[in-house]
Amino acid sequence: MTNDEIFAKIQAKFPKIEKAAVPVKDYLTVRLASPADLVSFSQWLKDSSFDMLETVTATDLLGPVDMKGFIRQQNFNPFLPEGATPQIEAAATAGYPYKPAMDLLYVFYSVTEKARVFARLEIAREGVSVPSLVPLFKSADWQERETFDLLGIRFDGHPNLIKILTPDFTVGHPLRKDYAHVKDRFDE
Amino acid sequence: MAMILEKLPGLTKGLPGGELLLTTSDYFIDLGRKQSMWPMTFGLACCAIEMMASYASRLDFDRMGVIPRASPRQADVMIVAGTVCKKMAEPILEIYHQMPEPRFVISMGSCANCGGPYYDSYSVLKGVDRIVPVDVYIAGCPPRPEALQYAVVKLQEKIAKMSLKKGLATPQQEKGSRDINA
Repeated sequence: MTNDEIFAKIQAKFPKIEKAAVPVKDYLTVRLASPADLVSFSQWLKDSSFDMLETVTATDLLGPVDMKGFIRQQNFNPFLPEGATPQIEAAATAGYPYKPAMDLLYVFYSVTEKARVFARLEIAREGVSVPSLVPLFKSADWQERETFDLLGIRFDGHPNLIKILTPDFTVGHPLRKDYAHVKDRFDE
Repeated sequence: MAMILEKLPGLTKGLPGGELLLTTSDYFIDLGRKQSMWPMTFGLACCAIEMMASYASRLDFDRMGVIPRASPRQADVMIVAGTVCKKMAEPILEIYHQMPEPRFVISMGSCANCGGPYYDSYSVLKGVDRIVPVDVYIAGCPPRPEALQYAVVKLQEKIAKMSLKKGLATPQQEKGSRDINA
């Protein structure tokens, strides 16, 4: 099945789903309209041979990283002389669509068709939760926990949504662009 | 008196019956200690690959009496090979306390020395000497296996200076590794 054939099938079932502006490599990349579509779309994909969820991940689209999130001093280059002009953070890249949003990415794979479908879903950064795919795909369990741990996205209906990578004393979600490090007992 | 042991074959023949041997207990104990330094088998990151190369046949750590042990209770030296994450800090401390005294620590590579490229990371411990006293630091990212073997030679020199009279701890272990004058 080619990408166009798969997309024609998706269009026939879900007219609201459109192709993403920027595809991931040469794979079929679609953009979901709202979190409400996610479960029905995944269920349909699972029934039409895309029965393997490869990846759940997300991106924070909020501008360049805030320097508050780093432990280092502003003038971190030890080779600069005393009193030299401090190095400053890089400015935002012109033309890049920064916005206060999280971009979720789901990758579905069909073993029989040898084809992948990439599904993107944009949500607000605060106060929005996404339905969990654990009832449909067991592989979503730890990946949703990782996405929650590093980016702070809550998944409704996840059976065990707790930290998976960062230690218990880490405060906040480190991959958020506005993450500010809270000193723990291992920092000076 | 330690000289006697170094000229062992000629002198024992000269001693009556060849059965008597005179030496100091410090020299004898330190000799045994420094020639059989068994490290704890664990690697944390890419430095561990260089550590494995040291054990392998081309560089042959075994000729220096370094045999990796699978249990901290049988180990004398802990080679901290790689990045120490904050989450890994407590298991390392636990392993260190499970090792019998006298115990030694080799900090291998920039990450274990001071954080290295992760010097402003939120998740990396900036130097393993913040939790355990370190005897020998090896610079490099990662250090070559020869550097690790040189570190063991330096540690052997250090062990040769140990004395029962001064107690089991090395001077650095008593004062803490951050003290430069120790």
